[in-house]
Amino acid sequence: MNASPDTLPLLRVTQAVKQFVLRRTLGDRVARRPGVLHTAVDHVSFELGSGEVLGLAGGSGSGKTTLARMLIRLVEPDDGQIMFGDSDVRAASGHALREIRRQMQMVFQDPYSSLNPRMRIGAAIFEAGKVHHQPGVDDEAAFVARVLDLVRLPASAARRFPQELSGGQRQRVAIARALAVGPKVLIADEAVSALDVSIQTQLLNLFLDLRDELGLSIIFVAHQLSVIAEVADRVAIMHEGKIVEIGPTAEVFHRPQHDYTRSLLAAHPSHTAPTPRGGSV
Amino acid sequence: MSDILLRIENLRISFGKDDRRVAAVNGVSLEVGSGEVVGLVGESGSGKSLTCRSVIRLLPPGGEMTANRVLFEGVDVQSLDRDALRAHRAHNVGMIFQDPFSCLDPTKRIGEQIAETLRVNVGLDREAAKVQALSLLEDVGISSPERRYLAYPHELSGGMRQRVMIAIAVATKPKLLIADEATTALDVTTQAQILDLIVRLRREIGMSVLLVSHDFGVIAQVCDRVAVMYGGYVVEFGPVADICNRPQHPYTRALLDSIPTIESAGQRIRRDGIPGQPPSLGEIEQGCPFVNRCSYASDACRTLELSMREVGPGHTSACPVTIGSGS
Amino acid sequence: MSDTFTTTSRTTRFRFRIRNWELSLGVAMLGIIVIAGLFAPLLAPYPPNQIDILHSLQAPSFSHLMGTDFVGRDVFSRVLYGVRIDVFVVALITYAGLVIGVIIGTVAGYFGGWLDAIIGRVTDTVVSFPFIVLVLAVVAIVGPGLKGVAIGIVLVGWALYSRLARSEMLAMREQPFMLATRALGYSTPRAIFRHALPNLVRSSLVYSTVDVVVNMLVLAGMSYLGLGQQAPGADLGSIIASGQGYLLTAWWITTIPGTVLVLFGIGVSMIGDGLTRGELSMATV
Repeated sequence: MNASPDTLPLLRVTQAVKQFVLRRTLGDRVARRPGVLHTAVDHVSFELGSGEVLGLAGGSGSGKTTLARMLIRLVEPDDGQIMFGDSDVRAASGHALREIRRQMQMVFQDPYSSLNPRMRIGAAIFEAGKVHHQPGVDDEAAFVARVLDLVRLPASAARRFPQELSGGQRQRVAIARALAVGPKVLIADEAVSALDVSIQTQLLNLFLDLRDELGLSIIFVAHQLSVIAEVADRVAIMHEGKIVEIGPTAEVFHRPQHDYTRSLLAAHPSHTAPTPRGGSV
Repeated sequence: MSDILLRIENLRISFGKDDRRVAAVNGVSLEVGSGEVVGLVGESGSGKSLTCRSVIRLLPPGGEMTANRVLFEGVDVQSLDRDALRAHRAHNVGMIFQDPFSCLDPTKRIGEQIAETLRVNVGLDREAAKVQALSLLEDVGISSPERRYLAYPHELSGGMRQRVMIAIAVATKPKLLIADEATTALDVTTQAQILDLIVRLRREIGMSVLLVSHDFGVIAQVCDRVAVMYGGYVVEFGPVADICNRPQHPYTRALLDSIPTIESAGQRIRRDGIPGQPPSLGEIEQGCPFVNRCSYASDACRTLELSMREVGPGHTSACPVTIGSGS
Repeated sequence: MSDTFTTTSRTTRFRFRIRNWELSLGVAMLGIIVIAGLFAPLLAPYPPNQIDILHSLQAPSFSHLMGTDFVGRDVFSRVLYGVRIDVFVVALITYAGLVIGVIIGTVAGYFGGWLDAIIGRVTDTVVSFPFIVLVLAVVAIVGPGLKGVAIGIVLVGWALYSRLARSEMLAMREQPFMLATRALGYSTPRAIFRHALPNLVRSSLVYSTVDVVVNMLVLAGMSYLGLGQQAPGADLGSIIASGQGYLLTAWWITTIPGTVLVLFGIGVSMIGDGLTRGELSMATV
């Protein structure tokens, strides 16, 4: 399911940069200097093929979330180029930007706060579809039921408020709301990190099912290497704002080339080879 | 395991008013040998945090515990009066939590916070406390302790803050360190360092560790024995290698099978996972809590009186079903 | 311990219905006062402005429940009509201020930048200005009467709501569900009015219970000073003022409307407490 070389990549990021101002003194302002900057994303380039799952791994502060948010301009890029199909994400505004955002949907880490607590599940899903005039929105109940079915939730969930659902169910609702607008790309930003293992597995399978059924491309941001190892076709390892290594998942994890990747893999706790570090009494 | 430091027998913790009491912990029995690292592993709501809090009788409001015994060095923690309980909390048990930032006073320098523990709980004078605090900072692997002594919590990284919390927890040289999801919020590399630190201190101080985690990987790396919790019960208890390699309880087995691994990178395997979700508080009143998600379940499981049976040397399981060895 | 409670938190939405006695008592007190005002034309035994010099300054009795004033007007009837006009005016000005303030504050908080800076400075100026002086100034321009006082209070009152809403919006803007509205490509008005507002209006509503009492007192105070309700119209402040000269001989003219004012204040405050407590129990579960 890798992007074949003869087709155009769905998304192409070239030399993307994002800097945050850490401190800017009055002197800096007067002299029009930028102040002390932190480069969160440092000349990052990658491509995403149609139907591909790209894993984005790295520690906290590695810039992976900033990068993910830049793709749909929740964070404004400072430099570089982001091409979605043949539209330039950085240049888009107004309707064009909304159309890009419709096609690249995001699922956030915390299913407890990514849903409006005062909106019933059905209303939230229907609203998303209606705003973007998705086919079938003239029949609200049927539309909501169909979308809920995509994430394996019963139609009866529509009447619930987010607080009435478990973490895993809420994350399914967040995915459903994203699917309601008919996207081509899902950006899952630590979307399974807050969930228990058994629920996490269900969600990972759901993502893979959606890729197969709807032909979605998925950018899967996570700090858990093992999760990425099992869902991603290709993986990019980020460290201090740079992609230090990118390649097919098996390649990167079994034959890591960069020291940082090696240290990440070495530190990853594994249950398959219990080796008590202290040595038993 | 020569002698037993902590023995919990038939611990129950419940919440709510008389007629609507729900049990969050349901007859848990557990033991920690001196110098031993015991893991408590389980998903949200399994009761693992509550269980370890019972050791210092620090339950959230509304929680009530009963147990046949909670013996710490032969003394029943339940029988302690207020002063004795305070001394027990101060000297016998150190505790670290998932979020070190909210446990530290943001307005005080971290060195002073460590020194304060030493003054209050060990009775050192100001000067001695400072010297001791500096050496503790060094012990927990903080470089240039003189400079860090003056730092405020927000000036430190998450890993550093957890080191400070550990310094405070071990300041009184406790016999037991309870680490409740202490590395969950950290990066893998930092996590590995903190786990190494805990294990090293355990050797140096000769303390036992009760390590609570949802991550089987973490447990497997540092624990001697592990108790697997589900729905308020310990469903399996035994040496970590046995549990990881020859899980006997269907839940443990299903849980281990759902954990993704690096080794399977790029193989596109789809794990079965465990269908459904963990029972909510009070949902299951009798029988096995795992019955609705278990592939070995029969009607008998719904009325079953849960009891641990020996399935190997020092290895017990709460399930009467014998499942084939290895996965 | 959060992991133990994730499953029980499903019912928090209904937690609010649990009665606490402050809320019940407050609603009861306020309810009686408001209903009395609402049905004043039916309940009042006499027209409020009917003069009856022969029966002036009579103590409370069965024919005049709260006695009569210096020209023989029935105090009970006047209090009923006074409550009617005061409650109406206070509700109008408080909630006009709330609506204006919450909208301005939410917009400022959502957009940030120069818009926020300008609105921020304006609210700061208004908030730091002595309240009464500003109301007096407006009355001086518009002329004495309830209209002037009402305009003055709204002109000042919105600013605190604006501040409150702005600070809530700043926190809420970074909440994933607000981020999600942008990711979903929702329009800005939809994000603000459909998603943010319903979530941040509660704290303003709670605060408005304090504001209602303050505004009631300001309104009564202005009428007391002769700048509000003009003779012969009745409102609580003007009734109290009219009895001022007879405090020692006819205590009921000032005391009874004063007591109604106090009960109104206590009732509203209790509702505010009840609401806050309801909110707290939601937040802690």
